Amino acid sequence: MDFEFSEDEVRFRESVQEFCKRYIEPRWVEIDERGRIPLDLIKKMGEQGLFAIPVSEEYGGVGGTITMAAIAAEEIAYHDPSVATAVYTLLNNGWPLLVERYSREDVKKEILPKVAGGEAFYGIASTESHGGSDVAGIKTTAVKKNNVWIVNGEKTYISGIREIQELAEGGGYFLVAKTGKPEYGHRNITAFNLIVRWNGKTRQGWKPTIFEEIGRRGISTGGFILEDFEIDDKYRIGEENKGFYYLMEGFNVARILVAAATIGSGRWALDQAIEWIKNRKLFEGRPLASFQAVSFRLSELYGELEAARLLTYRAAWLADKIYIQKDPKWKEKDLNIPVALCKMKAPEATTKIYEELMKWYGAYAYTKDCNAFRGWLGTFSYTIGAEGAQNIMRIIIARDLIGREYVKG
Amino acid sequence: MKILTPIKLTLDISQLKYESSGEPLIDIAPRKIGDSDKCAIEEAVRLKEKHNAYTVAVTVGSGPEHERIIRDAYAMGIDEGYIVEVKEYENLQAITIGEIIASLAKKTGPYDLIILGAGSLDTHSYTLGPIIASKIGVPIIAGVDSLSYNDGVFEARCVMEDGTYTYRVSPPIVVTVTTEANEPRIPTLKTILRSKKMEIKKLTAEDLGIELKRIEIEELKRYVVQRKKIIWDAGEDLEKAIENLVRVLTSEV
Repeated sequence: MDFEFSEDEVRFRESVQEFCKRYIEPRWVEIDERGRIPLDLIKKMGEQGLFAIPVSEEYGGVGGTITMAAIAAEEIAYHDPSVATAVYTLLNNGWPLLVERYSREDVKKEILPKVAGGEAFYGIASTESHGGSDVAGIKTTAVKKNNVWIVNGEKTYISGIREIQELAEGGGYFLVAKTGKPEYGHRNITAFNLIVRWNGKTRQGWKPTIFEEIGRRGISTGGFILEDFEIDDKYRIGEENKGFYYLMEGFNVARILVAAATIGSGRWALDQAIEWIKNRKLFEGRPLASFQAVSFRLSELYGELEAARLLTYRAAWLADKIYIQKDPKWKEKDLNIPVALCKMKAPEATTKIYEELMKWYGAYAYTKDCNAFRGWLGTFSYTIGAEGAQNIMRIIIARDLIGREYVKG
Repeated sequence: MKILTPIKLTLDISQLKYESSGEPLIDIAPRKIGDSDKCAIEEAVRLKEKHNAYTVAVTVGSGPEHERIIRDAYAMGIDEGYIVEVKEYENLQAITIGEIIASLAKKTGPYDLIILGAGSLDTHSYTLGPIIASKIGVPIIAGVDSLSYNDGVFEARCVMEDGTYTYRVSPPIVVTVTTEANEPRIPTLKTILRSKKMEIKKLTAEDLGIELKRIEIEELKRYVVQRKKIIWDAGEDLEKAIENLVRVLTSEV
């Protein structure tokens, strides 16, 4: 057993830290305040190779690993604890890997280099208004006519809506839609590369809208209607009616990176807390840290964050065995439990740290002068359930522990 | 054009931790390429990109950390790297390091440009560049914050207290750069992975015909600010207090 990061991983982490200190940390409050990641920063991140990290160099990717993508998400979130920049990064790392895995050769070569370079955005479009957790119950349909799929439906709480419209190239989504009889449930879903804007031109039939969110405001969230949107069959991802399984694979990778991002933000909050309790003096000059009610709580919170961090990198390590090293000993479904564990623990550990940090700050935390609220609101999105509701994680784990027959979705 | 960039493994002072007494915890501090040495690498790599120069880096010392900084230089774009392996590196002073680098430059050169940081993060003696230049017998421009190369001539700018100096010199020369010279590139994951596969060449001081001279430092005194703690009570006579203050301040300059 080896708990050390490799020399490459250590050096990569340092390079990301240096990048973040120079280009992200000075702007993170502005990013959250103004509700956008500057396009020049996205371009720089692309040049620095922070997107498509686990994608092969053949398709314009970096040729790295999922662990390295997790390192990037963690460090970027430490320097932008609202996690907006990290979420932008992780979407453009996790889902492109699925494109590489299941898309046609010419499609991979068309899409991936632009995403890797930061010229195009690539995210996930799964959630619909009736509830994101019920993936099998989606209502968006795709009907094949000749060699073209006609897609109709509505997706909501989708990241990157504004960015796709503002980036030079555009972008798209890993889309899931029903392609057969509804009674087949999840075996009736096909995945597509839904390219809504490319070469700077928006495709017909895509009607986007942008929501006003309370946290991680730097990356846009919205929804869109698809009205007779045409997708050439070559953009289909994998086999027909197997989209649900590819989606779950994609969620597994994305959830590792989400966990890593919330941990990065949690680490920042913990560092702020340590600095504050050492220097804040009251009751005749006693530092807050000298009260055991404070220091013991700090120890507990650190323990929870470290536990979540170990779960996260263990899942990343296993994901690398499966997706990068292609070790036949492991199967895609072996990731389900390790991923559900890290996604369940990491956002909640971070939420607890923010709550305590803000209580230790006192009234100051309730003003906009104190930036802790930005991290709190940003990461709370994942405690609510973005990229997989917390109780869905519990269902995944419980099904494995006590059997599917006892745990209904 | 061939360029040599000597680099030094120094303390990463941004990550330095301190005892409660204020003493820095040197032994556990992470180490890295010095900031101005990084700027020297950046200048070398820019000349490579613009004028097709061949770039070489060298460091003196031994162990994995020295290998790492050569790999970091590779990840920034340096083509070839040497470690001159010396045990007890900490005891060597700039004069010996300068001899080693000058000897390596003669052995692996000739170089059109030897470029390094003006001062290291730890000792800040600013002597290594001049020592190398004197040992090889070429001109030096020290403390450069802007360097260019056109029609066979280097143009270097130094901002001094009394004005800005611009020098035009034909190679070969030694240049030391300040951290104002540029913003060094950050290695990408691709270049980090590539750097791992590159060979690092190793030599000893004996290979270079250098006899190591150990110069012991007897004492290193920290600069301590002595406050005079003169206090005038402005409450009694404000005008007088201001007058006194101005008199003392002007007499101190």
